[in-house]
Amino acid sequence: MKSNANVSIFTSGVKYQLKRDWNLIIFKSIFLLPALAFLVIFMYYPIEETFRLSMMRATGLGDTVFIGFDNYLRLFKNDEFIAGFINVFAWSFWSVIIQIPLAFFIAFSLSVYKNKITSPLRAVYYLANILPSAITAMLGRFIFAPRYGVIATISEKFNWTWLGKIDFLGDTNIVFWSIFTVATWAYTGFGIIYLMANIEQIPMELREAAELDGANKWQYARFIVLPMIAYPIRILAIISTIGSLKLFDLPWMLTGGGPGYSTSTLVIALYKQGFVNWQYGRGSAIGVIIFLLALIFAVTQFSLQGKEGSVK
Amino acid sequence: MFKNKNITILLVIAVIVIIVGILLFPGVQNSIKTVFKGGKATGPVKLTVWGRDLPNDDPAHAYIRAVVTGFRAENPDIELEYIALGDPGLMDKTKVAMASNKDLPDIFQGWGGSVMGGYADAGRLLDMTKELKSIPCSAAAREAMTWKKKIYGVAPFFAIAGLFINEDIFKANGLKIPTTIDELEAVADALKAKGIQPFACGARDKWPPLALYMYLTDRYGGINAFDDARTRKIRFDSDAFVQAAQKYQEWVKKGYFGEKPLSEAYGDADNLMATGKAAMQVTGSWKCAQYASKDFTDQNIGFYPFPVLPGGKGEITDMMGMVDIGFTVTKAAANKKDAVVRFLKYAMSVEACSAEKGRICAVPGVKVPTRLTGMASEVFGKAKAIQFWWDQDLPPMITSPLNDTLQTFFMPESDVVRALTKYEELAEEHLGPAKEI
Amino acid sequence: MNDTFLEKGVSKKHNQYSEIFITAILIILALVVILPLLLPWCFVFKTQLEFAYYPWSWPKEFKWSNFLFAWEAVRIGEGLLNTLWVCIGAILCTVPTSAMAGYIFARYRSKFTEIVFYAILAGYFVPVQMVLIPLYQLCNNLNLTNSLPGLFLPMTAFGIPFWTMIYRSFFRSLPNELAEAAWIDGAGHPGIFFRVMLPLAKPATILAVLLVFIGSWSDYLLSLIMLNDQKLFTMQLRIAQFMQSTGTHNMPRYGAAAIIAAAPTIMLYLIFQRWIIKGTLAGALKG
Repeated sequence: MKSNANVSIFTSGVKYQLKRDWNLIIFKSIFLLPALAFLVIFMYYPIEETFRLSMMRATGLGDTVFIGFDNYLRLFKNDEFIAGFINVFAWSFWSVIIQIPLAFFIAFSLSVYKNKITSPLRAVYYLANILPSAITAMLGRFIFAPRYGVIATISEKFNWTWLGKIDFLGDTNIVFWSIFTVATWAYTGFGIIYLMANIEQIPMELREAAELDGANKWQYARFIVLPMIAYPIRILAIISTIGSLKLFDLPWMLTGGGPGYSTSTLVIALYKQGFVNWQYGRGSAIGVIIFLLALIFAVTQFSLQGKEGSVK
Repeated sequence: MFKNKNITILLVIAVIVIIVGILLFPGVQNSIKTVFKGGKATGPVKLTVWGRDLPNDDPAHAYIRAVVTGFRAENPDIELEYIALGDPGLMDKTKVAMASNKDLPDIFQGWGGSVMGGYADAGRLLDMTKELKSIPCSAAAREAMTWKKKIYGVAPFFAIAGLFINEDIFKANGLKIPTTIDELEAVADALKAKGIQPFACGARDKWPPLALYMYLTDRYGGINAFDDARTRKIRFDSDAFVQAAQKYQEWVKKGYFGEKPLSEAYGDADNLMATGKAAMQVTGSWKCAQYASKDFTDQNIGFYPFPVLPGGKGEITDMMGMVDIGFTVTKAAANKKDAVVRFLKYAMSVEACSAEKGRICAVPGVKVPTRLTGMASEVFGKAKAIQFWWDQDLPPMITSPLNDTLQTFFMPESDVVRALTKYEELAEEHLGPAKEI
Repeated sequence: MNDTFLEKGVSKKHNQYSEIFITAILIILALVVILPLLLPWCFVFKTQLEFAYYPWSWPKEFKWSNFLFAWEAVRIGEGLLNTLWVCIGAILCTVPTSAMAGYIFARYRSKFTEIVFYAILAGYFVPVQMVLIPLYQLCNNLNLTNSLPGLFLPMTAFGIPFWTMIYRSFFRSLPNELAEAAWIDGAGHPGIFFRVMLPLAKPATILAVLLVFIGSWSDYLLSLIMLNDQKLFTMQLRIAQFMQSTGTHNMPRYGAAAIIAAAPTIMLYLIFQRWIIKGTLAGALKG
């Protein structure tokens, strides 16, 4: 896809050999420096500190004792951590499987079917994403709570006992899905506007050409749009996955990780170890695990991308 | 073109310089601080207090409001900055400040016990034994603010757990206030038969189930059962704990806590009591203000001691309770002890405490605000032994797992013995193995 | 592939039906998004007791006292300016730096830039809760705690990795022709970026400005830790103070505070949503 001319500009080909070295290096470093400076100053020390503390027995109040990998070994016997680990993987799997196709469907429909009704709707889907998570959680409780919740009220009104019996926030098999529903409601909006912006980038000529070829909208989506936005979709998958690894607010506020540990996440385990149980070293070890998982995931995703090379 | 390029490069460099400048040069920092922070207080002594509730006209915040406004009026030479941080904001912020050992407040609101003890052991708190010894106060409240024989603060209000009972419902159904566990079960069965949920709890929040479990354990194993386990004389899965847990789960299975106990938060439990949908609740006396308020409930709610178990070791005079509102002094206040003492004395004054609308006051001479508080105070007055909340008495490493364990009692399929054994293993890790058996 | 396109000639009518069908689905989904947002309105006019009995019924009388109470307790005006400073600071620090870095990563890829990319991305793998204590200590040593820069500078460090990634993907998908034309005209590397590529990436920039704004507007945890002085408290922090200390004991008041907390961002969003749509469209026309 990228032409030769592209190579000559952006990786400075033979033509500009004399000039390239310094101009380009200075240009690149100046463009990279601010971002790097922020990260070096505000992130690297805390990250380093977390790695260091993960090897320590630390209450978070000063005294630390080096204990090697003991914190990590103990984590694998910790029910809460294991439950969090499993939940986080299930969560990222389902958010890629459910939320991204949903976002694509809405984004694509909005950009292909433009009429008087759909145009104003474009802005609506992002609304839920704006709310602070405390409010999202509050609304989630209103929907799912027993007795006064919206679902409970409706099932009582229409005498749907099968629906009234479901314990949305207390049944360990269901509660994951209740929270997932709230999260889908709240977070899909980002995927929609992100994909919409990318779909709108596709040149009109391609769509006109497809229409001339007699393709219907879904063939157009399948054979033109999807390949064109494969990269943004992959980015979205990375965002969802890493977002799942860092999941905290919604399950914490809706169920506190319960009942038992059924909706625990890695960060809930981290927070409880570090801030509630005064096991700062163990909390840090969870932090390191989250960090490494995210790193591994991102590197494999991006390097897969690199190998496919020019198929954008 | 070249000009254009140079300008952009210059712009970018300027941005970097500004950012680095902000970060590195104290001069720039200070000028920014003056812009963003306003001038530093120079004149009067400044006292920083971190609390939980906003001093507004919410009835539940009446006491803190009285303290803040009253203290400011009486002490114009002290600049009091009171910051309300809410729950869990207060806990999180205190933890971070304590861990960093920087920018500590002078006084923070706390509940004493092992959390305060942890801070004291780390050297973050100020020993105020000499100054605070003479302030009149109930023995239990003083003990809760004492760690290793040193007093670190004051506790104007003390809470005990007991049995809140909706008296209207009891009267309408001809039920008697239960004094034994058997009677309690009979009452609960009768209520269930009438379609009224016997107990409100709020198990979603993990900590509300603790009060009832503490009482049940006491009634089976006596007041020393928990202390013996904590000091490793017995295990956490020994008889009293297991029997209490089995009774607890039996009640859950019978539906005493409703159909979906795990979905109900503590606030939902309030509403069940306030609207008469649930008839009883075992929780702390801090609910007195709300349950006596006509704005909050139209039911008549009373406070009674938790029933005894005939044949069990526990007595009706064994009570579960802890500090309700307490203030702890930190190292930061070392050179303004005078101002701190004045604040604490004011917090413990009859004048300030009289504003409270429900809690049990630890200060002698304060009039009881409502009938409900009177009932609770009367129960408290008969206490011969007081056990602090387990989750404040155990070291912090094993408190949240305790509450997690209790929550599993509400799952019909969970094995309470196994859960307690798991908890015992955790206790062994942090407290050492139990000596008996 | 071309064959399948040719075989399936689609009639106009079929197209119309599918448009109606899809539009209907979109409307339903939009309702699903909007309706829960209206729930708090069902009870913010009630007293706590009325809410406890009949949460969803029509209120007996419309009482604004809950709003008044929340409004007075929060005193948003005092926090608004702080919040604005934080938002502006976060936007100014995050968006340009991410755009520049993302551009390099997208268009000047080399082994070296890839390594730098991961070094910056590392910040995205960090949950805030993990670094609260070291971050606080760090800011304290830099003399930044209890100041507004001490809030938006770390916020920026949390935001840059994400937006660098977004910008990278955006710049990658932009067509080259315009850049090449500018190159031939003699524009330098910065010139191409500022005059050609950055305007093309307008949708991403609009998105970034908006989301960084909303993100820093609703931040709670960092603000709670970094600010000690009530005068510096942001609006969100003040609302959290109120909501957390009222708790759920008084749901109508809690709901009123929630509405006050959410209303400004929602209104801003509704004002700027036209701009977002225009922005995303503009990109398409130029492509």
